[in-house]
This record gives sequence, structure tokens and C-alpha cells, in this order.
Amino acid sequence: MELIKPDIAFKRELSRLSGSQLNQCMQCGNCSAVCSLAPAERPFPRKEMIWSAWGIREKLMGNVDVWLCHQCGDCSTSCPRDVKPADVIAAVRQQTYLHYARPHWMGKLLSDPAWLPVAIALPVVVIVVILMLAGTFRIPEGPVDYSAFFPHGWLNGSISVITLFFYGLAFRGLRKFWQDMQQQFPAETGQKRGLSLVMVLGEVLSHSSFSGCEGKPVRKIAHMMLFFGFGLLILTTAYAIYATISHHYPLTLNNPFKMMANLASLMIFTGLGIMVSQRLLNRRVFGRSGYSDWLLLASIGLLTLSGLVVELARFGNWTLAYHLYFFHLVCVWFVIIYLPYSKMGHIFFRTTALIYARRIGRK
Amino acid sequence: MNSTTLVIGGGISGITAAAELADAGRQVVLIEKEPYLGGHVAGFHNYFPKLCPPSCGLEINYQRIRSNPRISYYTGARVTAIEGGYGHYEVTITLEPRLINNRCTSCGKCAGVCPEEPKAAYIPGGLAFPMKYTIQADLCKKEACGKCLEVCPYDAIQLDACAATVEIEVGKIIIATGWSLYDAGRLEHYHYQQEQDVVTNLEFEHLLAATTRENRQLTRPSDGKVPARIAFIQCAGSRDVNHLPYCSAVCCGVSIKHALTLAEAYPDIATEIFYIDIRLPGRNEKLLERAKATGRIKFTKGKVGRIIHHNNRSGLTLEVEDVMAGGKRYDAFDMVVLAMGMTPNHIDKDLAVNMYGFYLEGQPSGIITASSCKRPMDVSSSVKDATAAALKTMRR
Repeated sequence: MELIKPDIAFKRELSRLSGSQLNQCMQCGNCSAVCSLAPAERPFPRKEMIWSAWGIREKLMGNVDVWLCHQCGDCSTSCPRDVKPADVIAAVRQQTYLHYARPHWMGKLLSDPAWLPVAIALPVVVIVVILMLAGTFRIPEGPVDYSAFFPHGWLNGSISVITLFFYGLAFRGLRKFWQDMQQQFPAETGQKRGLSLVMVLGEVLSHSSFSGCEGKPVRKIAHMMLFFGFGLLILTTAYAIYATISHHYPLTLNNPFKMMANLASLMIFTGLGIMVSQRLLNRRVFGRSGYSDWLLLASIGLLTLSGLVVELARFGNWTLAYHLYFFHLVCVWFVIIYLPYSKMGHIFFRTTALIYARRIGRK
Repeated sequence: MNSTTLVIGGGISGITAAAELADAGRQVVLIEKEPYLGGHVAGFHNYFPKLCPPSCGLEINYQRIRSNPRISYYTGARVTAIEGGYGHYEVTITLEPRLINNRCTSCGKCAGVCPEEPKAAYIPGGLAFPMKYTIQADLCKKEACGKCLEVCPYDAIQLDACAATVEIEVGKIIIATGWSLYDAGRLEHYHYQQEQDVVTNLEFEHLLAATTRENRQLTRPSDGKVPARIAFIQCAGSRDVNHLPYCSAVCCGVSIKHALTLAEAYPDIATEIFYIDIRLPGRNEKLLERAKATGRIKFTKGKVGRIIHHNNRSGLTLEVEDVMAGGKRYDAFDMVVLAMGMTPNHIDKDLAVNMYGFYLEGQPSGIITASSCKRPMDVSSSVKDATAAALKTMRR
């Protein structure tokens, strides 16, 4: 017999994040029945609902199934007790970023609005220190040239080292996540392996799991816009780093990479526009919106916007160009360096969980 | 102070209350909106938990009404206004004509020649009281057809009869308006309106009653075949914030009754009951033991999420999580019975109701509510509550 150790604080936190009256769940199984993504064996989200209501953290943290969910909301719409399983599962995912955050305080920093000033202060202070070390912490004279403010070597070197440092720490959290999944959903012998990574890549690129969400193609379109827009910008950044080394930087407006980046910003704005308007006007499309959702949307929005403005400032020789550039760097920090600890962490966690799900034949 | 009591609703509860009052020496007027007394019970196949037929209980009450001169009753009657107060209620009643008068001997010649489908001249199967034909006005072509006028040997047909209004004065009023089934059409995920073989528990009850009455096999509505697998979906629209938030505490007993009836009469039909929790208050719990003892009724914990129809395959696929086994099932059945809950029937007067629309006990002085318009009840509880209402009427 297994002794249950309820974590009441954890349960209350899930309830707060999801807005669900967890005690009202009567375990009827309607949610699992209507879910178009739940596997036939041990389907979700009914079992996750009772684990949430009982505050059984260890069952929910290394849980593959909450990552198979793509938040279509069918379970919440048809729930006879209005306990919003989709929002509870989203809250579990949110708690997962915090649970596996290494160092742990980084998770805290991005999950609690009270810590937002610190989350902003950290990149500001670090960037100022780097600039001081580089000896360029002042507004340069003459036409706008960002490398005069933040030399390319210093920029590329410091930001990539910091990013790798935090990603390295975060990877330890992901490894623990993988181990916990292995414990909870042990692989049976003779199951498919090897190709799982390729399969998951295909799934992510095609957004096929979003198609299971009947009648809500708008979610798929919005996510595709953000996903591919973001992907193109990463590609541009990689090229830009190469360009700074091969000394034909900054890129001109007719450079294909520059054109691609501008197109990507447009895609991101379109996707964001859909997401923000749907979250504000039609709660059923994305479910409940909380701090982590808005933080993610705001940081991506500000990152893209400031990127465009910085580009304009360069061509237009604006006086405030360097201030805007500094702001843009803080946004980059929020999206890229904070990635494993915020809702952006789904890029790592969902991909890892989907690979694991494929490996154990759960998908 | 008028000592006559008006009983609104001629179902098992209203009949019981009227008979009890009359037996105690009170004058009673009993009114019923349908052309026949007996309400839902008259159309039932059997009662639970003892699985006895509705003639048990209903017939003896018909006899009490027939033999007691202190009861007068109106069928096809609706209350259109209630004025006054305790001891002197003035009630306006509108009477819909049945188009057949008291000379009817229920020989059935009118129905025999009626060309309409369904027939305008009818008498309900089972326990019709009064035992007279009715012509349903909206189905009948009246004088344009007139075939029944020619064949009736008793001059009982009056196609030109029109609605009448009666005003009566009574001292007290018992409200026993009973219940209606929740609208199954609103459960879109069960496709009740599209699928002929998805029926409500009340329809299934009528189906069982008809097969017994006509001494034939149970067949399913779509193609007339004998179903091999029947599923019962409990809490269909009950305990559901999107539909009825409450539990009627009757539907579990009804479904088990149906499954037991099938188990005894149709050894080849497999039945499965999908439930959230089985709710059988009081002695009704024995019904579950009896059902389990047959070994032929399968109980599965899990609310059915959807009924999917495949055009290329016969049968209805139920999508459900078997909660105890922890797996999802997609299982095909020939027929699905929705165990629907009860909603209260109202009269055209604002009375105090609870959050679900059921009448409260506390009403203006002299108005007593009884039975399933107060809360969902099975037949035996309704009869007890109706007797209690009769007692309250005499006391207050």
C-alpha cells in the first residue's frame, strides 16, 4: 500500500493559478473521454485532476501527459463541474518550469510578479558592468553605430557565455525532469526508439497536434506565426554574428537576411496580435491568462518592437538610438537568457517530454 | 371559508391527494392538463424496486375517484388565473374539448377510420382514465374529413366543440404539477436529435410498456432490429453545471430497473450501465445487489463524453474513460438510453421556487405543494408526499 503525502500548499497554488475549484471535481472522466489527444492507456486529464486536488506534486512534476496537452479547452468546455481541467494542466506546466529551475531562484524570479523589478534589474546591472569593463559605457559621437557602444566582440562573447552558463544549469533541471518521467512512465521493452527525435521535430514543425483542437484553427495559425517568425530571427541572429566576424556588418536593407528578419517581425506581430486579442476577448480559445502568459507575450512583443525601432534608429540617426538599443538588449535577455525558466521554457520541456512520449510509445 | 380543495395535476400524486381528501370527507376538484388522468405513471412499464406494473397503485386510485362522489375531475384542463386568498380562492380553468362526449363506449370505430398518421382519434395504451377516446384537435381535419362522424354508432363525436372556461371557488389548493424530463436535444454531444437509436429513459420506458402490451419483441427505432447491445448513460445532463446541476436520485434506479427487465426478458441483449456514482437511496440499494447478482449487467464507472455515429458502420460508438480500469474505450452499441433527470412543471402563477426552479414548501397560505414539483422523487415517495399534502390541507 502506498501512502499519499498531500502537499496542500502546492494544491492551493495550482488552484490559484488555474482559477479552478479543484475540490469540485467528481472524477467522472468526461475530460479524458472528450480529449482528442489523450492516449487510450491511462488517458489524461482525469488522473491529473485528482493528483492536483490531492496535492500530489511528485505525480505531476515528471508527468509526460501534461505536455501532450495542447490546450484546446474541450475538457473545460464540457466539464460538468466547471473545474477547468485545461487550465489546471496549464498551471501544472507552469509549476514544472519552477520545479526544475536550476538555479531555483531563477524560476522564482520569473513566476512571481513581485520579483519582476529584480528580473529587470539583473540584466540592466550585468549589461552596465560589461559595458564598463569594455570601457564603452557612454553615448558615442557621430552617426549611429551600435558597435561603438557595445563592441561586437564583447557583445557576442558576453551574451553567449551568459546564455550558455544558464542553459547549462537549466540542462541539469531537464535531466532531472527526464529521470522523473522515466520513474513515472517507465518504458516497456521493445518500444520504438531512435526516430523519436525526428518524429517530434516533424510534429513541432507541422503543428500537427494543434490540429486535434477542433474548431480552433486560430490557435494553430497564431502559434505558427510566432514559431516560424522566431525561428527566422534566430537564423538572422546567427548570420549577423557571422557577419560581425567577417566584417560586413551592419546589414543593409536589401540584404536577404535583413529582409527575412523584417518579414519575421511582421509574422510575430501577427501571431501576437491574434494571441493578445483572443486572450482578451474570447477566453475559451486559450483558456485562463495569467502572469506567465502575459510576461511571455509582453517580452516577445517588446523584443520584436524594440528590434525594429533600433533598426529604424540606425537608419534615421536618432538621438535616442543607444538608449533604445540598451532596452532591446534587456528584452533579448528576457526572452533568450530567461528562456528555460519562463513560459518560453516549453520549447525545452515540451520537446523533451514529446521525445520521451515517443520513446515509450505514448504517442 | 370554502371547504372545497382544488388539486392541480392528475398524476399519481394529485390522484392520491384527491382520494385521501375525499375519503376524509372533503369536497375535491381534480384537474389535469392532459386528456387522461394518471400522468407519467400510466405510461410506465413497471416500478422499481419491486418491478411491479403500474396498474398496482394506479387502478385502485382510479376506483377511489370513480366511487367517491366528493371528487369531481376535469381533464384537458388548465388553470389560467388564481385570485383571492386563503379560504376563498377564485380559480379560472380553461377546458380543451376532447371532441368526443361522454356517450363514448371506447369501441374504437373512430380510430379505425381516421386517415391521419398518427391517428387523431386515440386512446393511450395502458391505463387510460377516463376510458374514452380523444380527438387531437391539431391533427384532425374536422368536418372536411368527417369519417368518424359517419361511423360512430353512439353520436359521441362533436367536432365543433370549443374550449370552455370554468370559474370555481375553493378554499385551498394543492399543487401537484409533477415533472418533465430535461430536454435531451440540448445534450449536443449525444446527438439525440440526429440518432433515432439514442432514446431517453422515458422513451425507453414507453418502448418496454408497448412491447409488453402488444406482446412483441423489443426492437430499436431506426431499423426495427432487436438490439444486441444496449448502453445506459447515467447523469445525462444531470449533475452538470451546463445543464441540470442537481442529481434527480431516480434515474439510477430507473436504468437498473430497465437493465433488470431486459436481463429477465431478453437473455440475448447485453446491457452496460455507464455511471459516475450509482445513487440508490434507502431500500433501493437492494436493486443494485439484485442487478449484480444476475451477472449479466455490466457496470462501468465513467461519464460518456460523446456518442459518435459512423455512417459506414451500424451502431453508435461511445467514447468513455473506464475510470476504474484507467483506459479509454471506443465501444459500439446498437442502442443508447440516456438517463435524463427531472425538471419541475409550473402553473401560470408566480410561486416561490428554489434555485433550481422547484416549488418551495412555503407558499401563500392555503396553497400546498406536493411531490415532484418540489424536488425529484420516485413514485413511492411521491405518493407519500401527496398523502402528507392532503393532511396539511386538512390541518391548515
